[in-house]
Amino acid sequence: MWPFARRAPAADRAAADLFDEAFLRRLESLAVVARRTVDGKTRAERRSKKTGAGIELADTREYSPGDDFRAIDWNLFARSERLHTRLFEEEEDLSVYVALDVSASMTLGTPPKLDHGKRLAAALAYVSLAALDRVSITTFADRVIGRLPAMRGKGRIFRVLDFLRNAETGSATDLGTAMRTFVAQNKRRGVVLVVSDLYDPKSFETGIDALRHARFEPRILHLVDRRDAEPELFGDVLLVDRETGERREVTVTDAVLRRYREAHARHGKRIATFAGETRVPLVSIDVQHHWDDVVLGLLRRGGIVG
Amino acid sequence: MSWELAGWPLESAGALLAVVGACVTLLYFLALRRRPIEVPFVHLWREALADERSSRLFSRLKRVFSWLLALLLVALIVGALADPRVSGHGGSERVVVIAIDVSASMGATDGRMERAREEARSIVRGLGASDRAILIAMGAEARPRSAATTDHAALLSAIDDLVALGVGADVEAAAHLAADVTADAAQRELVVISDGAVAHEAEARALLEAAHLPARLVHVGAAAPNVALTALSVRRYPLDPSRNEVLLEVTSASDQAESIEVELLGDGETVDVIPLAVPARGRVRRFFQDLTGVDRALEARLRRRDGSHDALAADDHAFARVPPRHRVRVAVVSEDDIYLSAALLLDEYLDVREVAPADFPPSEPFDVAILDHFVPSAPLETDAIWIDPVPTEGVTGPLEITGSLDRPFFDRLRREDPLLRHAALSDVNVARALLVRAAPGDTVVAADARGPLLLSGERGGHRFVALTFDIRESDLPLRPAFPLLLLDAIESFAPTDAAYRGSVATGTPASVALPVTATHATLRVPGHAGIELPIENGNATVRFERAGFHTIETDAGDVLVAANLPAASELDLTPRDADLGTESTTPTSISEDVSRLPWQWLTLLALALLLIEWTTFHRRWTV
Repeated sequence: MWPFARRAPAADRAAADLFDEAFLRRLESLAVVARRTVDGKTRAERRSKKTGAGIELADTREYSPGDDFRAIDWNLFARSERLHTRLFEEEEDLSVYVALDVSASMTLGTPPKLDHGKRLAAALAYVSLAALDRVSITTFADRVIGRLPAMRGKGRIFRVLDFLRNAETGSATDLGTAMRTFVAQNKRRGVVLVVSDLYDPKSFETGIDALRHARFEPRILHLVDRRDAEPELFGDVLLVDRETGERREVTVTDAVLRRYREAHARHGKRIATFAGETRVPLVSIDVQHHWDDVVLGLLRRGGIVG
Repeated sequence: MSWELAGWPLESAGALLAVVGACVTLLYFLALRRRPIEVPFVHLWREALADERSSRLFSRLKRVFSWLLALLLVALIVGALADPRVSGHGGSERVVVIAIDVSASMGATDGRMERAREEARSIVRGLGASDRAILIAMGAEARPRSAATTDHAALLSAIDDLVALGVGADVEAAAHLAADVTADAAQRELVVISDGAVAHEAEARALLEAAHLPARLVHVGAAAPNVALTALSVRRYPLDPSRNEVLLEVTSASDQAESIEVELLGDGETVDVIPLAVPARGRVRRFFQDLTGVDRALEARLRRRDGSHDALAADDHAFARVPPRHRVRVAVVSEDDIYLSAALLLDEYLDVREVAPADFPPSEPFDVAILDHFVPSAPLETDAIWIDPVPTEGVTGPLEITGSLDRPFFDRLRREDPLLRHAALSDVNVARALLVRAAPGDTVVAADARGPLLLSGERGGHRFVALTFDIRESDLPLRPAFPLLLLDAIESFAPTDAAYRGSVATGTPASVALPVTATHATLRVPGHAGIELPIENGNATVRFERAGFHTIETDAGDVLVAANLPAASELDLTPRDADLGTESTTPTSISEDVSRLPWQWLTLLALALLLIEWTTFHRRWTV
């Protein structure tokens, strides 16, 4: 290396490894698959809840002065002898928000869940950008830490990658606080892909509910590491919480391990129950699986976005 | 019953306990430090450990219990090092002499040697803490194999090293040594472990009673049939030293007749095999005549004809050294006598050199001079055969000549003289002989009524044989007696050693003749460094402990010696009683179980605790 060459910081090098050439090639192939899979269904042609200047008839209402008389439904007038104006569903491009959990618990493990989350976020963003959707990225922990404003066109993927590459990590998880901030920051409604391990001591439900109540369409991408559920621990240990620093002396026995597995299973069940009750789409993603397999699976199931 | 510490003293054991206990405590608390493990969500662990809180106090108690277990383990190990033992003899010091028979009979195949070792081990293990013991190997002589010690490990090791030797057992020697080494002890005892085949029993009893040393005999072994080679000797024929005559004796201590065969090996090669029937408790002797092919070593091996082995293998072999043949250098000083030279050709081991009288003495050394009608002016320095020794003027001959005899006859013969062995002289015709006067000490071997015709004796420290007539004036050279007489005379100077012993007995000091010029001698023992032997008057005194051929190396050449078991003492393997006098009133040893009690139980307890600790630790019960 030349002495005057700029050395990339360690974090940059790690991030560069995260989104290397192979990753980008894989993204492109995913976009092709995405087009083939969802062609004609999701490409910025989603019907919005708004009525307006579209071509699909949504409803009629009584004519009021000032309405565009071109929209008067003359057939209906002939039957009812009353003027009605046709209302059309307004077609607009979809807003896709990717909310990535960058709390300390996501940085645990080898490789950490955050790496998987970043790749997943980049892949979903790319697929959405390729579908001409508006894509925005938000990182959060106990608050919103970073935000990439909405953009369109897959040429913007490099901004997405740069943003994810340089994303700062946080400490504890507080999904409720973070999502309330998110809602305040984003007025345009849309799909929110929450990528998180959902290790929120204050209840992750608050955050998802905040999105729902603000008429966003949350989708939960739950990152699961089997090593979290099956820790290889035995004997006397001092457990230190990665996020809070809380310490707890534990003598890990077979019985304790069994009870922990049960608690972990209850946690997963709680998430699934919540998603079922609130009809929030939930996908549990094993971080041991390759990220592109995960994205491909999502696309084949009809897409997490559509 | 009191207790003593046979191992570490109390102060040292206490200090060790304190130091190790402190270390164990430190290590124990270090072991309690937990390794920090980062987890993503401790909240889940909190749920899992909800039931653990209630048992925290109990868990602490278990940890304390585990620590106490470790301390107890240390205490037990230190206690074991202190080696507490039962003092079974009132605390007074006692010396026990354990004499184990290592004679040849202890090598019987009934395992009596191992039984003896086991008896000795049992005695050692049962000794009190302050009891000292000394181990003696009782063979032909008594040899201490350990110091008088309380160190049981050293004693047991010495016991393990004992093996049966090829010697007899002298209980008197053991008693003598035991009395010496225990002379200062307040309490003492001699324990002889033997099959009872011991020598000098009465002498030992008297010695022990005089020394007030209690003794008892522990019998080992059982009666077993045995056949032994009890004699093997070999000699060369004088007139044909290349041939040998062998005497063999086989003795049976079996209660039934034995059918055996004996194989003779000469210089390592089989030269003869003969079957023999030996009656019950009988003896058979056999001569092997004209045996050839044996020049150095003769070995006999005995075996049963049915291929089975008797109870003692050590006496199934016998060894003998064939007498060495010396080449005698003979100087024949004669003007012209082919009869002499022809007669001397009969013995191939004679190195005959003819010397003219004018050239005498020759420059080369010689052993025997045959002086035919010649008397040198200087006294001879060798043995000599004089024939018609008429000195010249001014020279003194070996015999005083007083006149002459006409037609003498051999009418007076000393037939027992070796010179006349096989030689018939009674009808020899002689025309004329010298009339000589025998000097005091001379032996007249043959004589006419008027004077000696054949004499032997010594002059100036050298032997001589003299014929007083000129053989040319007799028909003696024409007779077979002439060469026989010459060769017998030469042999009388350089005998093939009539007193030669083909073998020596093991266990007793033997004097072995070494080469004349030898200045040092070393006995080679397989597996050991050589043993330097003292030389006295050309002989080395050595005591062999094993039968077989032994080599004594000297700077003048090696000497091969054959050693055999002492004839009969080890033959009969039937255990015999031996009265060694008064027995001790106190038991030699405490019950072995009682003596080993602390060690045994401490060790078992420590092992049990280790097992408990290991199990509970790995089951997470004690942490």
